Parts: sequence; C-alpha cells; structure tokens
Amino acid sequence: MVKIFFVTDLHGSEICWKKFLNAGPFYGADVVILGGDVTGKAMVPIVQRANGTWEASLQDHRDTLESEDAIVEFEKRVMNRGYYPIRVSDQEYVAMQEDEDLVDKRFKEVMLEGTERWIAMAEDKLAGSGIRVIACPANDDMFEIDDLLTGARVVETGDEEHPIQLGDFTMVSMGWTNPTPWHTFREAEEPDLAVRIERALTAATDPQTTIFNFHAPPYGSKLDNAPALNADLTYVSGGQAIRPVGSTSVYESIKRYQPMLSLHGHIHESKGAARIGKTLALNPGSSYEEGILQAAVVSIDEKKRKVKNYQLVNG
Amino acid sequence: MAAVGEEAPTLFLRKATGLVKGWSKFDAFLYSFMSVNFVTLGLFFALSVLAFVPTGQVLPALLISGVFVTFLVVTYAGLISVMPRAGGDYVWQSRVLGGGIGFLLAVTGWWFILWYWAPIYGNILNVEVFQPLAAIFELDGVSDFLASNNGLFFVCAVTVVLAGYLVSLGMEGYAKVQKVCFYIGMIALAAIFLVMLFGSKSGFQSAFNQEAANLFGGSGNVYAQTIATGAVNNAGPIVPDLGFSPFFGDTLLLIPFLCFWILWPNWGATLYGEVRGASDFRRVMGGMMWGLWITIAVAVVFILLASKFFGWQFFNAANVNYWATVYGYGDATMPVWSYAPLLVSFYFHNTLISALIIIAFGAWFLGWAGTLFLSSTRVIFAAAFDRILPEKVADVSERKHVPVWALVLMLVPALIVSAFYAYTATFKTWILDATLVIAVTFFGSAVAATVLPWVKKRLYESSPMARYKVLGIPLITVTGFLTAAFLGFNLWHWFSNDLYAVNDPDSLYFMGGMYLLAIVIYIVARVVRKNQGIDLSAIHKEIPVE
Repeated sequence: MVKIFFVTDLHGSEICWKKFLNAGPFYGADVVILGGDVTGKAMVPIVQRANGTWEASLQDHRDTLESEDAIVEFEKRVMNRGYYPIRVSDQEYVAMQEDEDLVDKRFKEVMLEGTERWIAMAEDKLAGSGIRVIACPANDDMFEIDDLLTGARVVETGDEEHPIQLGDFTMVSMGWTNPTPWHTFREAEEPDLAVRIERALTAATDPQTTIFNFHAPPYGSKLDNAPALNADLTYVSGGQAIRPVGSTSVYESIKRYQPMLSLHGHIHESKGAARIGKTLALNPGSSYEEGILQAAVVSIDEKKRKVKNYQLVNG
Repeated sequence: MAAVGEEAPTLFLRKATGLVKGWSKFDAFLYSFMSVNFVTLGLFFALSVLAFVPTGQVLPALLISGVFVTFLVVTYAGLISVMPRAGGDYVWQSRVLGGGIGFLLAVTGWWFILWYWAPIYGNILNVEVFQPLAAIFELDGVSDFLASNNGLFFVCAVTVVLAGYLVSLGMEGYAKVQKVCFYIGMIALAAIFLVMLFGSKSGFQSAFNQEAANLFGGSGNVYAQTIATGAVNNAGPIVPDLGFSPFFGDTLLLIPFLCFWILWPNWGATLYGEVRGASDFRRVMGGMMWGLWITIAVAVVFILLASKFFGWQFFNAANVNYWATVYGYGDATMPVWSYAPLLVSFYFHNTLISALIIIAFGAWFLGWAGTLFLSSTRVIFAAAFDRILPEKVADVSERKHVPVWALVLMLVPALIVSAFYAYTATFKTWILDATLVIAVTFFGSAVAATVLPWVKKRLYESSPMARYKVLGIPLITVTGFLTAAFLGFNLWHWFSNDLYAVNDPDSLYFMGGMYLLAIVIYIVARVVRKNQGIDLSAIHKEIPVE
C-alpha cells in the first residue's frame, strides 16, 4: 500500500507548509506532495519611519511596531497568510511605488528566499524520516524556483520532462495551465498545452501505474468551477455566477490515457472528486490564507494497482 | 505588478491567479434582496396572516425583526470572513461543532426540507400568477382546475421542473435571469405603489365592488361584506388601524410570522476574494444588509399605502378570508387570494392591464424560484466530497455538465412531497415546518459563530474579524449569541404556540423523522467508511504546526 498526502496552492503560507511537513506522520502517509503554486502573491511593506518606529498594515488594519519582537510577530502573521513581509525605509517604499521594476526585483528576492527557507525546514524536519517530500512548481511560480527545488536534498521535484517514481508508480507532473486572466508564468494555449502533455506522457508506459499531477483541472469536471469574472477582474453577479475554467487538453488527456489517479489544483474554490472514465480525479482545493491545509489522502493498493480509498481533509 | 491601497499601498501584488477586485455592491445586494423576497414570501406568508394577532402592530414588529436579523447578517458575514469559500453552513458547523452535527443540521436544513419548499414555491406560483390570470380572463374551467388537487400538483410539478432547469443552467445563467427579473419586478412594484399613492380608498372600494361582480359574481357592497366575513372568520375584530402601540406585548407574536419571510438575506452567502481584509467583510455584510433593509423599507411603504388605499381592515379581512377557505373553516368573498397587485389592477377595469401587472409581478417569482435547489446541490456535493454520501451523488454529466444525481435526489422527493401536499389535507398544515427546520440550521451556525473564537482560535485570530470587538468580546460572539437568542425565541413560539400551526404532533414527528434519517445516513456512512479504511472523524482534525 502506498499512502499519498496531496496538497496544492499553498502560495507561500508558512503555517500550511509547516502542517504539510507534519502531515506524513499525522496521516501515516509515505509521501507528501505539493502539486504546485508554491510561492506567495503579495508583499507587505513594513516601513521604517523617521522616528525609528515601523508601520505596516495587514487586513486593512494599520500597526505601529515599536520593538523587534513586535516586528517579528507581525512578520509571522504575514507569512502565515502567504504574504512576504519586507522591511523597507521610507525612501525605498516611495521608490517602489513609482518603479515596478523595483517591486519585481524584490518579489524575486523574497520568493527565492522563501523557497530556500521552506526547503531548509523540510530538511530539518524530514531528513532520514523515510517520508518523501515532493514539491512541484506551477503557473504562479516563477521559473527561478525550479533550480532551487531541483538542487534540494530532501525535497524532490518534477515537471513534464522529469517524472517521479513512487514505488511501482510513475507520477507525471505538469505545472503549465491553460490561459488565465492574470497572464501568469506558465500558461499555454490549449493546443500548445496538449503538445506539452503529449510529450510528458512519453515517460508513462502503463495507465494502471501512472499518476497525473497536472495543476490545471480537467474542463467541466466540477473540479474547475470558479466565479465568473468581468473584464476588469470583478466578480460577475456578486460571485454567484460560477463557470468551468479548467483545461480541455487535460480533460482529453485523462479521457484518452485513463491514468489510475489524476491530481489537480489551481482552482481553490473547487474542492472535489470526479470520475473520468476509470480515472479518479481529485482537487483538494486551497484555503491557504486561513491557514487551513486542504488535502487529499489517497491509499493505493500496489498489488491491485488501483486506488483503495481517498479522503479530502481540512488539516 | 501592482500596488494596493488608497494613498500609500499597504501591500504589493504580483500577477497571480485568483487576485480579483471584489464585486459590485449591487450584485451582492441583488441576490440577498431576491432571497428575502417581498412579493412571494413577504406578501403571501407574512403580511397575509397579520390578522391572526389582532392586537399586534406590524410596523414595530417589522422593525424589531429587522434589528435582530441584522445580527444574523453580521454573524454570517463574520463566518464568511473567517472561512471564505468554505461552502456555507455545512462546512462552518462541521469545522466548529463537528462533522456529525454539521451533517445533521445542514442536510435537514438545506436539502431534505427543500423538498418541502417545492410545494410552498408551487403554491405561491399558483396564487400569484396562475390563479389571478385565470380569474382575470374569466377562465372558470382553468380556475377550477388550479384550485383542484390535480391543479395544485400540476403547478408544483411545474415549479420543481422549473427550479431543476434553473439549476441545470448554472448560477451564471440564473444570475442573468435574476437581474432582469429584479428590474421588471421593481418597475411593476413602483407602478402599483403610484396607483396606491394617488388613488383613493373610495375609488378602490368602487373598483373592487365592480370587479368582484364582474369576475366573481359578487353583488352589493362586496368590500363591506369582505370585512364582515373577515370578522366572522377571525371570530372577532380584524386589526386596529396602523400604529406603534403596543410596541411590545402582542406585537412580538407577529415576529415568528414575519420570520417566515424575513429570515433569509443570508441565503446565498457571497464569495470572499483573496488577499483582502476587513473591507471585504464590510462589503459582504453590506450586500446582505442592503438586501434586508431595502426589503423592510419596501414593506413599510407597502403597508402604509395598503392602509391608505385598500383600508387596513379590508386588506387583513380579505387575507383572513382566504386562509379560512384554505383551511376549510370559513367563507370568502373572492375565490382567489386577495393578492395586492391583483386588487390594485382592478382599479383600471382593463383585462389586459391587469394581466400585464400580474405577469410583471411574476418576475418576483422567477427571480426567486432558482434559489429552491441551488443551495441543496452545494450541500450534497460537500457531503459527497467528505465521503458521507456516495461519490456518485456528486457526478456531473460529461456532455451537459449537469449534476444529474444531485438533481434526482432533489427533484424526485420534491415531486413525491408535492403529491402529498396536493392530495392530502394534513400535509398543508406541515408546510410551515420548512421555515422551522432552516431556522434550526441557522441556529447551529449562530452557535458555531458564538464559540468560534475559542474553538478555532488560530483560524479566528488570523481573520479580519478578530479586529472587531464589543466591550472586549469578539463581535462574532456577540452577534452570534443575539442571533441564536432571536432564533430561539422564534423556535420556542413555533414549537409551543398553536397560533403558528407548526406544533402539530404529526408535523413534529415528520420533522423528527427527517433528523432521524440524517442520523441514520451519518451512522451508516461512518460504519461503511470505517470498513473501507476511511475515518470520517479525520476530515476536520487540525494537523499540528510545530
């Protein structure tokens, strides 16, 4: 029996990463997998004022931080929500408001620092434990983190060119997605995505021993329901209008290849399970900002080469 | 890259999936406003039964109810803020109170009982659209059919199929329908308000007498006969003129009636965006709050105009007479319900204008009908994803993307319940349980909200709600407690007072049966899943952080 603990879309939430590293023993899992979107989406500036105090806002609430302890505590709160705290001077703060390149550069720095810190935490926690840790990049992750993940000792990673063996099973990963309104790092039009998937599948020899770790969920599977957006990125109908936004290429590849298991993420609101032919497709969803680790716990019968059972949990 | 903030940015965002800019306040308001529907639930289920408490006053009762439902709005906005995108009562209660309680309260309140709401919706379609149209066009055969058991079942079946179709359209399609319905409905409402404002009571009396003679075969002063019949049916005076005295006392007895209508501004809890804070809490709350208070404002205007135009005693007498005929203990001067738009339309003495008014008011029904099953789908899916229900019930068809089994689980029982409703007398007395059971579910969420800051401390403290306190007590605890107290007040009256016709022993057995069914399903699921190696109690166990 192989027991997989699968999560996705942590987006920099430090508390979720810590729970992720503890999930192996907690659920008796052999391998813990972060399916994609490792890094955060926002930086919170902690600005040093002329009088030496620091000011910052979180969730619309402005704090004046007067001691190093207060700053560290604030930074912890920020990181638990998946944001990156950055300490800046008044001048840097003003400059960042006027220069997008400076923001871009700082983002790159904090995302790489954050990923390195997470890798180090994994090594401290799980080196020699016998529990495998896999973290794959996806559309919201800049390409620069790939090298960090590849170079890590305890954390393993995979992409369409690098499948991962899980005992007798082969996990094929695909962090690229169909286009989103945000034009993120790893997006491709459906025909191009189909080519990428086809290329990735050359490593998979037997559907019964193949696991897809495709970030984009299959189109129309109910794992891909997201609130419809207007052109200005506001919700249609107060967020009540829901539409499928998954990938048709992913759907077609599952339908045609029929892997034993297909793991997805990307659409945080669309937690669920679906059967596409013989394939069990799962999206555990994500509540990273609240520090809830949504996950799929999947037990695979190695002899029968099929999923014995699965459970979607809120750890 | 983008900076967020008004004058100086409080955070910098990069391009990343899911970063939305919120939603229009109007859209958030719209769904809430159509859920706490003044014309369907308000006119039919709340304002038509005021005469059963002849010594109560509706205006203060409405204001008191509004204040307490405001606490419910704040509580639900708080729960959304702490657990956004979670999926509503089922998930909130499961996480805070435990999976068993969450399942028990959610499936009864958001699934089973909505089978029961199908005939309620159907009956409203009948009395507000089909029967008035048949009356206006003097289609006696159709009127007789609609008043018969077969007719009632037919209308219920139409409603079930319509609601099922709207679910299959998806919320996006339905939201568009709802918006159009809102505009048509509001224009129609404004039109009759103008007639009621500028028309005279004597003019209405004359018009009513004339149309009662033309359409229903009445003779003489039918207006006066209506009041006299009402006094007989009510075994005493109808109601005093409008006022504010007593502000409390018997006026409070009207509140459980008003809650058949006014308790639902939170029906479609809105999504919460990512990378947002307290401003989103206020926005979510604002949508529901406007939905509630604009509805109350509309109701107050209507009540004042009804008093001026129809005469308050006539309005209430006509309603009492209708209920007397429904429950078979009295007579009425009209063979159809005294639907206010129909009464106003008599003023024009024109069949087409009357029909146009009734059809335009039908938009209030259409904009509301889709709410019947939409929430049920979410609960069924969530329970299936938690492995309590079989995986199959969350299937969607590959071709049409329709939740086939979820629809079957709603439509088939709803049709069976509709048949019971149409063909058996006792079922009609049970329909008010629908409100009671949902109120119990809301009560569970109010309790969950009250204890949330302690039971889920980390979750609460990381939310924007943690900033809001009253005298040092978390706001969500204060409003949760007040909401629970308000719901407890209503539940106590519904359970203990014959006035509300929901404390019938058979009715309570039926309701208990639904809870028993939910318990049985949960226990069976626990046993079956345990044998499959799945521990249902593990769903909401928090993983240690350190």
